[in-house]
Amino acid sequence: MRNALTSLTVSALALSLAAGHAMAEDLRFTVWTGNEAHLNMLNGIADGFEAENPGTTVTFETIPAGDYVQKLTFQLAGGNPPDLGWMFEDSMPAFVAAGAVESLTDTLENAEGYDLADFSDPAMGLWREDGEIYGVPFSTSPFMIFYNKDMFDAAGLEDPLTLAEKGEWTLDKFREVVKALTKPEDRIWGFEFKDGQGYDTRIMHAVMPPIRAYGGDAWSNGECGFDDPEAVEAVRMLHEMVFEDKSIVPPGEQGDYFSGSSAMTINQISRASKMPEAGFEWGIAPLPTGPAGEAPVIGQAGLVVFAKSDNKELAKQFIAWMTNQENVEVMAQFFPPARVSVLESDTFTEANALIPPEQMKHVAAAIKEGEVLPSHERAPQILAAMKPRFDALWRADSDVEASLKAVCEAIRPQL
Amino acid sequence: MAAADDIEAMARRARVPWLTLKRREAIEAWLFVSPTLIGFLIFFLGPLIAVVIYSMSEWNLLSGEQIFVGVANYRDALTENPDFWHVIRNSVIFAIGLVPMNMALALTLAISLSRPRRGVVFFRTVFFAPVVTSAVAWAIVWKFLLQGEGGTVNQLLALVGIDGPNWLREPDWAMAAVIVTRVIKMVGLNMILYIAALQAIPRDYEEAARLEGATGWQVFRMVTWPLLAPTTLIIMVITTIGSFKVFDHIYLMTGGGPENGTLVLAFYVYEQAFEFFNVGYASALAMIMFVIVLVLTIVQLLLRQKGAT
Repeated sequence: MRNALTSLTVSALALSLAAGHAMAEDLRFTVWTGNEAHLNMLNGIADGFEAENPGTTVTFETIPAGDYVQKLTFQLAGGNPPDLGWMFEDSMPAFVAAGAVESLTDTLENAEGYDLADFSDPAMGLWREDGEIYGVPFSTSPFMIFYNKDMFDAAGLEDPLTLAEKGEWTLDKFREVVKALTKPEDRIWGFEFKDGQGYDTRIMHAVMPPIRAYGGDAWSNGECGFDDPEAVEAVRMLHEMVFEDKSIVPPGEQGDYFSGSSAMTINQISRASKMPEAGFEWGIAPLPTGPAGEAPVIGQAGLVVFAKSDNKELAKQFIAWMTNQENVEVMAQFFPPARVSVLESDTFTEANALIPPEQMKHVAAAIKEGEVLPSHERAPQILAAMKPRFDALWRADSDVEASLKAVCEAIRPQL
Repeated sequence: MAAADDIEAMARRARVPWLTLKRREAIEAWLFVSPTLIGFLIFFLGPLIAVVIYSMSEWNLLSGEQIFVGVANYRDALTENPDFWHVIRNSVIFAIGLVPMNMALALTLAISLSRPRRGVVFFRTVFFAPVVTSAVAWAIVWKFLLQGEGGTVNQLLALVGIDGPNWLREPDWAMAAVIVTRVIKMVGLNMILYIAALQAIPRDYEEAARLEGATGWQVFRMVTWPLLAPTTLIIMVITTIGSFKVFDHIYLMTGGGPENGTLVLAFYVYEQAFEFFNVGYASALAMIMFVIVLVLTIVQLLLRQKGAT
């Protein structure tokens, strides 16, 4: 009798577990934001999906940006793979080459009312390989100049936005105002590289905007471009600004824009969230133009499904849901879209609570015209090979051209 | 016949209880050591064996592809990759810079603070405090103090007319800065070891020497220093081993730069494994590091035995 009862209980338990497993599908989604507003928005989007797919739950798991690729890789290798997640533009080629992410082409082409063609071609470039789509960009955010309007006013200078509207916002003008705003006695600089990291982790964000404005590039088709005359000229200008004009926060110093120690910096609009507490009037403007004209630079992040996921099909459907017209509009308040229809609508320019529409229209223009940063399957190795040579470049007495030749020599085997 | 044997054996088992005193003691002993043993097997021996296996493979973490390559990773490190010898050179420079400075300072402090005087406890605490301070906080604060022109260190130097270098941005100065900040952080530990050793030296020896007319320096050189030899030896070896394993300071203060000037072995292993995902090559490097530390440890044990006899 007791045996019969035990076996009955066990079978019932096993059945209920099996049934529970068949019904409830949990999608684990890794992101690098811990921002409450971002997570609330993401959960709102997931709620809609869960309502349409009963029994499905989506859980967002935050991994800090600095550790994201590392921890994600170890989760994938360690048999604990998330189903889907955010992906940095510069990590994407390595994931595609290793077959670690799934093709989304079929799902996106067949999703009802999705309109895949609405995504701008340049924005999709990085996420496509041999005709297959491996990721969908959810944030296509151009680098913009953030400026401290109070400092411009105090110096009696026209601010970058005004200069840009007049078509006078060139690299020469940029150098001139950066120098004019520098006050060594107060330890105030005219310009700070992105998050003060231009000599370390943000080398590309420091040198690429002027290099592109001069008409050069870091590398393309396996060829190094750092030692091309255009790139050399661009980097020489920065070098002179750092060591001769002493107008850019130099290596080894801290001159934070957000606390008022620099008059300008370069960053993406997501950083505007730091501005309300900065305590000064501010604005954003496009990057200065160079000999090659306008050359906006874009940073991207995309959504991918991991090949090791147990719920690939459902995960792909969630990406299609998350990047449909309606949800892209929702996300546009934080993440500039790659959908042309949203980009061109007033929804986008009016979506940002911190940045007025007349400045947001420059953001929209930059997304349409801009080019993403160069990427590579071996990006971490390339950056590591570059770093010591750039360290040597960022010294007062260095020979810019020779240093850039050394950079090319160091990264050529990796390219 | 066989059945009869079985019966007899069963009878014997029935007569003698299985749990004899000897067995019980053995079980108890195993139970007592099992927490440590299990921890040792899972967290030390297991990974160690795994690292040996990984070091002979080329493993792409993303694709999960793992190929056996024999000793290729070791050959690559030792004969083909110029970075490796650069890294070893940096590690040796770090050790040569750190060990003597640390020991000399520890001994000086210990001599000043070993006698019971007023305020001695306060100063011992002051010098020991960095040892128990978070390494992360320590490194970040020093990075701030060592800024180029705006750094506190350079501003103090400017007061006496010295134009300080951009400490963490010039390769040689960066190495020096990392070594000195590390010494200040860790010197308290060696100071305590020396104080203990100094206090263990009977006062009679010194008094006898003084009665013979020895000066302070002579007492130190002829009496104190030889009696400190065993402690000096141990301190030297553990400090050297510690210097080969330095990671946190490098990671937080220089990231191995500038110009790879502070790229030491432990940081190089980290970079290969966790930045480039070269798990095989990183494992081979870790094994090389393991051998270096093992050799130093054996040397320490041999010297201690020699010192004891």
